Amino acid sequence: MHLRELIQPTADWLDVPSPRRVARVGLAACVGLAVYGFTVGFWRDPLMGVYVAVKMPLLIALTLACNGLLNGLLGLLLGTGLGFRQSLLALLTAFALAAVILGSLAPVTFFLAWNAPPPGATGAASAHSAYLVTHTLLIGFAGLAANLHLHRLLAAKAPTPAAATATLLAWLGGNAFLGAQFSWILRPFFGTPALKVEFLRSDPMNGTFYQAVWRAIDSSSGGFGIPVLAIISLLIAVPVLGAIHKNHQTNPKP
Amino acid sequence: MNPQETPPSTTTTTPPPLEAPLPEKLDLKSLFEALLRRPQALVARLAEPDHGATGKFAAMAVVSILLFGFVLGCFAKHEQLWAAPVKVAGGLLFSGLICFPSLYIFATLAGARIAISQLAACLAGALALAGLLLLGFAPALWIFAESTDSIGFMGTLGIASWVIAVMFALKFLKSVIFSTGGTQKGPLFIWSAVFLLVTLQMTTSLRPILGRSETRFTQEKKFFLAHWGDTFGTSLPPALDKRQAERDPDAR
Repeated sequence: MHLRELIQPTADWLDVPSPRRVARVGLAACVGLAVYGFTVGFWRDPLMGVYVAVKMPLLIALTLACNGLLNGLLGLLLGTGLGFRQSLLALLTAFALAAVILGSLAPVTFFLAWNAPPPGATGAASAHSAYLVTHTLLIGFAGLAANLHLHRLLAAKAPTPAAATATLLAWLGGNAFLGAQFSWILRPFFGTPALKVEFLRSDPMNGTFYQAVWRAIDSSSGGFGIPVLAIISLLIAVPVLGAIHKNHQTNPKP
Repeated sequence: MNPQETPPSTTTTTPPPLEAPLPEKLDLKSLFEALLRRPQALVARLAEPDHGATGKFAAMAVVSILLFGFVLGCFAKHEQLWAAPVKVAGGLLFSGLICFPSLYIFATLAGARIAISQLAACLAGALALAGLLLLGFAPALWIFAESTDSIGFMGTLGIASWVIAVMFALKFLKSVIFSTGGTQKGPLFIWSAVFLLVTLQMTTSLRPILGRSETRFTQEKKFFLAHWGDTFGTSLPPALDKRQAERDPDAR
């Protein structure tokens, strides 16, 4: 499988969800995420880089494994006509595309980590913040590109654009919801300078991502957590829905 | 123009590919496939006698819901590991039973021409579909059950999963009614609201399902919204905290 096949799949890409193809797409996802993950953790410590190189592919594997049945059921029930293996291939393709994008940026992010003030130096806190923002933007971009790609794949198979959109949104909601919790369990990824380097925190299953986010938003907004959360949700939803709408117009079903 | 005078068509059109009929003997695999991929063919097949699907659908629903209930029981552990699945499965079967007579009447009001036995099989199928979806949600719920002590958070997840699952079940029932001659959406819409309310009230009538208490059931009458409001901000009591209980099983 060439990378071009993954980035520019033909309309019949999902018709042959052979174990060989699934394995190759999975391998592309693992390699891309591992390479990128290494550069994410490298700034804190090279050992942290190795840990994150393992944890990033693990995060995707756990999310897809736990939601496998649900994704397959939703693919069938929402009218795309995709079976369980086709659903898995579609989702894995999207994750692999995000991984390839991030993997291709890994030399740049490695250079960024190489040139940032080390964790013990003065200005490490601001470097850590800038590092976080940069990676969040890159991951956000890769995620958006991957989901638009997934929507094109679904639109080529689904009888109606609405079925493709409904399936995409259902998958996106389910995987993002669980994936965020797995990212919480598998923390740390970036490695806070004040905390020691470790594969997992001492009590990884304590608390949820959502409770932590809610506490952070509520305390930083002075008790106005609900309106701030509503604004953030709107800021995320509007461009995503806009992009999907545009995708509907520019990618009619062949 | 008289239809008899219509000249024979000279153009040939390719008919859409025909789907293979459902097998003579409906085993669990073929029922599962038909429920997900070909609901209308399934409804037609259920109109025939001796389909034997009702019991299999009911078994599918009970097993999936027992497993989902077990995952909910993992939140508080201890006796809830068996009490929650029994309560959830029992509550859902009871809801199905008490709502079935009204389903038949409302389906008929909607214009459907469907036999009681066929409708019973379809309701069992709808519950099986909901159960399968709940089984799909179960791994994610287990992750959260092991991570949080917040009853409100777990309750919201459980209810959200149930509402999503029941929406697909109701969509299946809608296709049942329309494929058997039904023309009106209104009666099914009302029945759907009634069924959903009954199942949501079960979460309160059979409490505790998530948390723990000294008694298996409570005699206090309460509307489910009031119960949810009272418990939303609560967590597992510290004395019964699951991590502490695991460290010291004799704490209670």
